[in-house]
Amino acid sequence: MGAVADAIAGGGMGGRLWLYSNYHCNLSCSYCLTESSPGVRRRVLDAAAILAGAREARELGFTGVGITGGEPFLLEWMPALLAELAEILPVIVLSNATLFTGRRLAALEPLAGLPVRIQISLDSASPQENDAMRGPENFAKAVAAIPALVERGIGVRIATTLEDPAGQDPAERDRLCELHRSLGIGDEDHIVRPIIRRGRAVAGDMGLAVGFDEIEPELTITADGAFASPFGPTVRAGELDTDLLVTRTVAPLSVPAGALARLVGSAESGRDARLGIR
Amino acid sequence: MLARPVAASQAPLLARPYYSEQGTSPIVTSLAHVPEALAVTMPFIATVLGPSAIGARTKELAILRTSARLGCEYCVSSHSVVALDSGCTAAEVSALRVGTDEGDAVFSASERALLGWVDAVAGATGAVAPTAAADLAAHYDEAEIVELTLLCAATVMLNRYCTALGLPVSAATVERLAAEGL
Repeated sequence: MGAVADAIAGGGMGGRLWLYSNYHCNLSCSYCLTESSPGVRRRVLDAAAILAGAREARELGFTGVGITGGEPFLLEWMPALLAELAEILPVIVLSNATLFTGRRLAALEPLAGLPVRIQISLDSASPQENDAMRGPENFAKAVAAIPALVERGIGVRIATTLEDPAGQDPAERDRLCELHRSLGIGDEDHIVRPIIRRGRAVAGDMGLAVGFDEIEPELTITADGAFASPFGPTVRAGELDTDLLVTRTVAPLSVPAGALARLVGSAESGRDARLGIR
Repeated sequence: MLARPVAASQAPLLARPYYSEQGTSPIVTSLAHVPEALAVTMPFIATVLGPSAIGARTKELAILRTSARLGCEYCVSSHSVVALDSGCTAAEVSALRVGTDEGDAVFSASERALLGWVDAVAGATGAVAPTAAADLAAHYDEAEIVELTLLCAATVMLNRYCTALGLPVSAATVERLAAEGL
């Protein structure tokens, strides 16, 4: 095995290659890492680059691909790309699910039965609380889209992002779980995660501050370079954060992947040293 | 400035080892925009310009003369200080900063041969003058010739990089040079 495959197999580096397909979004969520909104610079990774990255990722030892943004489904070619990616590696794609009606919903039908899962954000069982974070009508659109996707045989996972997951009101958690079960999503496909204090969450004084030592390293490719985590290429006051930048080079993928594997190796040695193991 | 310095709080992972709480060179804070380039360039610079089998004074003569010939304000100022710290006198540094051979009488025969070689390598285009090569070979062995030539060429690269990006000379450097009458 190569150094990248070793780092993945050893658990030091996540096996999923993340790709930011774009930065623009039809929503402007209050905790958005990337300050995404309809008017931001799109910074699109084209489909050919994403496919080439996925092919090289498989050769290097990666075990999956994640697509995020921005809202990936603002790109008309996203459903076709996902079908092609699924032939290379299992795929997860993050979405707000607000676009899944009519023609766009029909375009997803070829994904039925493929190793593609759409991870949809749903932050509360209360439409008011959910929409306060994510924007007007988000709740109604998401809860309409989820069963529509499930009925079509498309894999769905729900992600709930909270200021303090451990402090969530148990009654609220129960309401949310009843909701996702009623939409056809089992408990194993519901994840709850904290708001990360980067991007727009900083201005909102929200979330958990993280650095390289607190994250699981996962190689993340964007139009601006390769980062150590999907939490890396964040934007604050219009400026891209570079503290988790690995390399500006994104192709060949072996360049950033090798660099991250080396960083993971040196960080692990450092952690051991601080713990007094060596 | 064409490339704003990358602040320590935004230093990419590969760049962090090159940042210091005591102050970080603008070469580092500019290269940090492209961390994979920084990660190979800084060790290269340290190997070629830093301590080696050739004495620090000799190396600084070559660096300062090259920088003066290329008219790099940042490198001339920074390496004037390094040259002083490497045993050069203020008069010698002053002579080197001119960028011509008019003050070379203060140097030894081997040092004059080196400065002639630097003038031939950094101050001209095309083939290097055979007389300069012969003078150099009379005082230095092959390994030293290779190392000194690489030192001169690497300094040319740095000179153009620092000048083109307009890297600023630090206040401490300006102060030290003023105190030395330079």
